[in-house]
Amino acid sequence: MTKEQEGALSVYRILDLTDSWGAYCAKLLADLGADVIKIEMPEGDPGRAMPPFVDDIPHPEKSLYFLHRNAGKRSITLNLETVEGIDIFEKLVKTADVLIDNSPPDYMDCLGLDYPALQEINPSLIMASITEFGHSGPYKYRKGSNLVDFAMSGVMITSGYPGKEPCLLPGSPAYDAASVHANISILCALLMRSATGQGQYIDTSVHETSRMGLYPWIVPNYSYALNPGGPPPTHETRMGAAIYPVYPCKDGLIRVVALTPRQWDALVRVLGSPEVLLMEEWRNFMYRIGNTDDLYAIMIEFTEKYTMLELFEAGKQEGVPIAPILNIEDFYNSPHTKARGYFVEVDHPVAGKADYPGPPYKWTETPASIVRPAPCLGEHNEEIYCKELGLSKSDLVALRGAGVL
Amino acid sequence: MLPLDNVKVLSFGTGGVGPDACKIIGELGADVIKIESKDNLDFMRTIGPDINNIGQFNEANRNKQSFGVNLKSDKGKELVSQLIKMADILVENFRGGVMKSLGFDYENVRRLNPEIIYVSSQGFGGGGPFSDHQAYGPMLSSASGMLSIWAQPDDPYPVGSNSPLPDHMASKHVVIAALAALDYKRRTGKGQFIDMAQTEVAASLIGEHYLDYTFNKRTAKPMGNRSPYAAPHGCYACKGTDEWCAITVFTDEEWDSFCDVIGNPSWTEDPKFAGLLGRLKNVDELDEKVREWTATLDAHVVMETLQAAGVTAGVVQRAPDTLADPQLKWDNAFIELDHPVSGKRLYPGIPFHLSGASPLQSTPAPMLGQHTEEICRELLGMSEDEIQRLLDEDILHSPANTESSGKGMFG
Repeated sequence: MTKEQEGALSVYRILDLTDSWGAYCAKLLADLGADVIKIEMPEGDPGRAMPPFVDDIPHPEKSLYFLHRNAGKRSITLNLETVEGIDIFEKLVKTADVLIDNSPPDYMDCLGLDYPALQEINPSLIMASITEFGHSGPYKYRKGSNLVDFAMSGVMITSGYPGKEPCLLPGSPAYDAASVHANISILCALLMRSATGQGQYIDTSVHETSRMGLYPWIVPNYSYALNPGGPPPTHETRMGAAIYPVYPCKDGLIRVVALTPRQWDALVRVLGSPEVLLMEEWRNFMYRIGNTDDLYAIMIEFTEKYTMLELFEAGKQEGVPIAPILNIEDFYNSPHTKARGYFVEVDHPVAGKADYPGPPYKWTETPASIVRPAPCLGEHNEEIYCKELGLSKSDLVALRGAGVL
Repeated sequence: MLPLDNVKVLSFGTGGVGPDACKIIGELGADVIKIESKDNLDFMRTIGPDINNIGQFNEANRNKQSFGVNLKSDKGKELVSQLIKMADILVENFRGGVMKSLGFDYENVRRLNPEIIYVSSQGFGGGGPFSDHQAYGPMLSSASGMLSIWAQPDDPYPVGSNSPLPDHMASKHVVIAALAALDYKRRTGKGQFIDMAQTEVAASLIGEHYLDYTFNKRTAKPMGNRSPYAAPHGCYACKGTDEWCAITVFTDEEWDSFCDVIGNPSWTEDPKFAGLLGRLKNVDELDEKVREWTATLDAHVVMETLQAAGVTAGVVQRAPDTLADPQLKWDNAFIELDHPVSGKRLYPGIPFHLSGASPLQSTPAPMLGQHTEEICRELLGMSEDEIQRLLDEDILHSPANTESSGKGMFG
């Protein structure tokens, strides 16, 4: 963990009402120094129950998904479905710049915490809402999940082996697409607020953002292929193995990006210019796509002579992008990862000490960093309720007993 | 009012990440100039026969003006230096070392403009042994650990996708960095340099698997569509060829609804499927049973029937499905633009709705050098004679003096 330094967003306070599916949005803000207060129901974010766990022990402070996506935040418990809970929440709203929420449509309205009501309390408040399908429209009340949202995004049909079941991208791609877009929208609203003094409301859905965010080229590609009098566009399917082939080598696998004839020629040189690869037809990308299996059978005889890193380096020298397929352990231990200091040690009071993925960028003026571990449930109740809002410790005891905290 | 009114951005780079980021920044209201050279074309201009008529390029480069210039000439460098002096933000995603060789690395650029925000987004990022390696989108998953677990458990090895995932997640992180730095600059007057590694973005998106390694010393294996805490959880083949519906059942309540929808056939009464643990233990058999039900039905019927009963389901959509998707229509998710060469085509709009901003506007991608003369005249204050001389000397490029047929991948 780095010491606390001013981050680019250190002046801002974010109230984070999201569960783990929306947690990446405010995590990115916390990386940049924002004071993110995660508000959890007394029983805790359901994401605390998401596997895997530290030592495989299910425990609310040991979910690895939770620990990663909530690093840098503080946590308070608050039951918004109580009168006192709402009263306390409104006090917090007065201190906040941004509220991020991923409750289902109508939920905040039912609590009387819709944006117009909150704006009366704090006119400069920015409220960003992430829902599955949006706050209006024919799919408003539909249910989503990471797999289903990814399926509907338009990109899943291209993922995996031809003929087999389309394959989910690891992680939570649909929800993270929503998180990064919500993040961009919040930064836009903050920039606008510096000119107007006014907050605003942002409506973001997982459905629309994953559709646009994960692979925005699908509809343009289709639209460009659709011409009056021309043949209908080809039915999109899974071509990864043909377009960006994966080959075994001495110590693992590589992936090759050889699209142009120049890149193909470079690949042939990398493999020692064997005669069988010098056939003129192979230089044509569409020919290679049409003969993927034959090419694979020929290629492995040569790729298997080299290690991943030998091919990675030779590709750079000759001018064809070749990537090693690193597994989790390989990437963690890679000299490049180490040289950049991507992993940072974080000490959590319950989970213990371990290296965490750090922010994916280095900033020269305002460091991006993980300044604290993910919070324990309600860890900052006293810090925030007593020191900031002026409640006494006995108030906390009473409110806890009443199910408010 | 637009969020990024009066923000000046220069976009150097190629391919997906840098262009896509600046496309978003432009649609949010910034003035974005793409610096391009015909001798070193943006890779995406070369994947078809006409550099100005390529769907992927024209999507990734909307909302920009194109300044065509020979970056290796002294005069070209001087003109670009003047544009740098006017810019708030510079984004680049060339291979490591390229901006330095052009004389536009951060150290040089900050001398011209000390307050500039300079976002460099490279495959591997600066400061390590792989920094100067080229990294196309499909390599990010490969080199970050993501591809190693992106497969079905019974696949011989992972093959990823024909889409360069997660390239376009890296581009969103570029936008986040640029806007957060801009906010800081507005408050303090200070610019800075941001050095992003796209592989690290990919690794951050699977951070829980990295913690599984650092805490538990476990190197994750592919799980495909399976979930450790839900079943059914997968894509199920429907009527037709390569048509699928994704279905996820998390709770017993959802399971009961699912059984009702499929008419409670006798196998659903088998106690081994009654609870989550039983469904997980017998997941292969369960999936087979679900497939028997979906196989005879249209994927949209499966989705509609299950959603009506409160079970999470969605068609594995293709482009035409998303264009017909009633919710995306409701959201006005697609925009039609008329490009001077490509004509009227559809593109995805910005997928969030800001209550305080004017409606966002998009402009079609520029032809190479389309705005060169305008920028020379209006921003650089050059005379018509000088502009013409530099065009004649091939130091400046405009559509009129540029051959539009590229040295494409098929040639």
